Amino acid sequence: MKVEGIEAERRGFRRWALAPSLLVLFAVAVLPALYLVVTSLTPFQLTDPGSATDFSAPLRNYGLLPGDPRFVNSLLVQAKLSFWGVLFQVLLGTLLALLLHTQSRIVEFARTFFLVPMVLPPIVVAVIWKLIYTPDISPLTYAASLLNLAMPSLTSSVQFALVSIIIADTWEWLPFTFLMVLAALQTIPDEYSEAALVDGASRLQIFWYVTLPFIAPILVISGMFRLIDSVKAFPLIFLLTGGGPGTVTEVTNYYAYLLAFDTNEIGYSSAVTVVMLLLVAAISLGLVWMGRRREAMA
Amino acid sequence: MSGAARNASLGRLIAIAVTLVVLLSPFLWLLQMSFRPNDQILQFPQHLIFTPTLENYTALWHSAFSASFVNSLLSASLSTATALLLGVPAAYALSRWAGKGKHALSFAILITRMAPPIAFTIPFFLFYRWIGLLDTVTGLVLVYTSFNLPLVIWMMQPFFDSVPSSLEEAALVDGARTRTVFTRIVLPMVAPGIAATAILCFLYAWNDFFFALILTRTHARTAPVAVVNFMNYEGWEWGKIAAGGALVMAPVLMFSLAVRRYLVSGLTAGAVKG
Repeated sequence: MKVEGIEAERRGFRRWALAPSLLVLFAVAVLPALYLVVTSLTPFQLTDPGSATDFSAPLRNYGLLPGDPRFVNSLLVQAKLSFWGVLFQVLLGTLLALLLHTQSRIVEFARTFFLVPMVLPPIVVAVIWKLIYTPDISPLTYAASLLNLAMPSLTSSVQFALVSIIIADTWEWLPFTFLMVLAALQTIPDEYSEAALVDGASRLQIFWYVTLPFIAPILVISGMFRLIDSVKAFPLIFLLTGGGPGTVTEVTNYYAYLLAFDTNEIGYSSAVTVVMLLLVAAISLGLVWMGRRREAMA
Repeated sequence: MSGAARNASLGRLIAIAVTLVVLLSPFLWLLQMSFRPNDQILQFPQHLIFTPTLENYTALWHSAFSASFVNSLLSASLSTATALLLGVPAAYALSRWAGKGKHALSFAILITRMAPPIAFTIPFFLFYRWIGLLDTVTGLVLVYTSFNLPLVIWMMQPFFDSVPSSLEEAALVDGARTRTVFTRIVLPMVAPGIAATAILCFLYAWNDFFFALILTRTHARTAPVAVVNFMNYEGWEWGKIAAGGALVMAPVLMFSLAVRRYLVSGLTAGAVKG
């Protein structure tokens, strides 16, 4: 009797603990997502209020997408930015982790400072690179002039604009892959490499046959995280190139932003965003699936 | 490791030091510029030794920047408080309740963390325009809660998991109410977790640029947006821009050192076990 009373009381408490959060999450996450989908079915423009409820051709926006060269181009730019960014972050992050994976008080203390780029507010990272890329005040331009080289303005050149974004993005997120890989390295039992050493394996062989298989899953997972987040590289593009020159650095996220808040094409922008959201959700699902599989294997 | 020396060799230490200097040089460049007198910034070659000045910082403090700094502080701390108030009890309930809903909820949390901000910005912008919340701190607090609440629920669950339930059961048998057990016994035990979560929430809200750019104009403009405005409207005052950047990052650097252990689980919230 008494136990039942406790159970009932507990259930009541749980309801009161959960309900407000679920309600708020519904209001601030689910409703906006639904609203976004609804808006994507209309030709809504801010200048034409009646268009917000015009559902006469619901799939018109989506039909326009494949034939919109800026949209197709934005997907390509995003693919290039993500591919090179993720590749460099995983590669350099791994190298850095290998370098710092050692038992020493000083090195452990120094690790913290390697995290600085990642914890800086993204807009400050953009400001930092703006100071470095702006020819008038750029230490790079000055260094090049000392070597009698004429350096183009990186962020406004067709050739180098995307490269300059990739460099800044890699700098910002390198510490993330570094942290993840370092954590993985620290879980490798010493006996493995010691046994290999006794058997006469070289350092390179040990890396290839012992270390790499151990950290491979983490390399993939941290790469996926960076892939998903690379879609959000907004402040860098906003401040450094503004999507230009032309549309050279205009990723899908930025195109959707310009559509909605520069040209007021809210309906069409919503359709672009929904497609982007579906792509991100697909990658996220893959990530969850891999995480589960890994847990099951462990 | 796996092929590495137990004690760091001198060569390795030198390599680490060089890498660190190279990696941090862009950041240090901004810092030195913020202390440089304005007329020296455009001069090359720049002297490494110069008399540092606080003129950029004092100029900022007497401008509209200070108001935006206050807006940032207000919106970040209020949204942190809201998210904790709602999310901490929810995380406790979820931790003690291994139902099917758990997976659905963690997927929902993942989606809100992964979605590009623009997906939320369009609906929020339209809604705020309609009810008049554009350019208000309240509006910002509401948006920031949308990503801080999932973060709290995600971060706090493992902390509650680690509190042995036998403690609570003993108190319950003694006739204590669940609410009392929660506030008097469980909460004090997870206080460090709450502190770490609060700092992360504060940082996420503080770091936001995108929402503030679109949902504010002048009254509720936050510090990150104000820094950028030095470039667009008030001419190119590099000294002020650098000092503004330094001020925006100051609280972040202090706080993240305090919670660096939790940084990764905060960043990867939702997908792998923290």
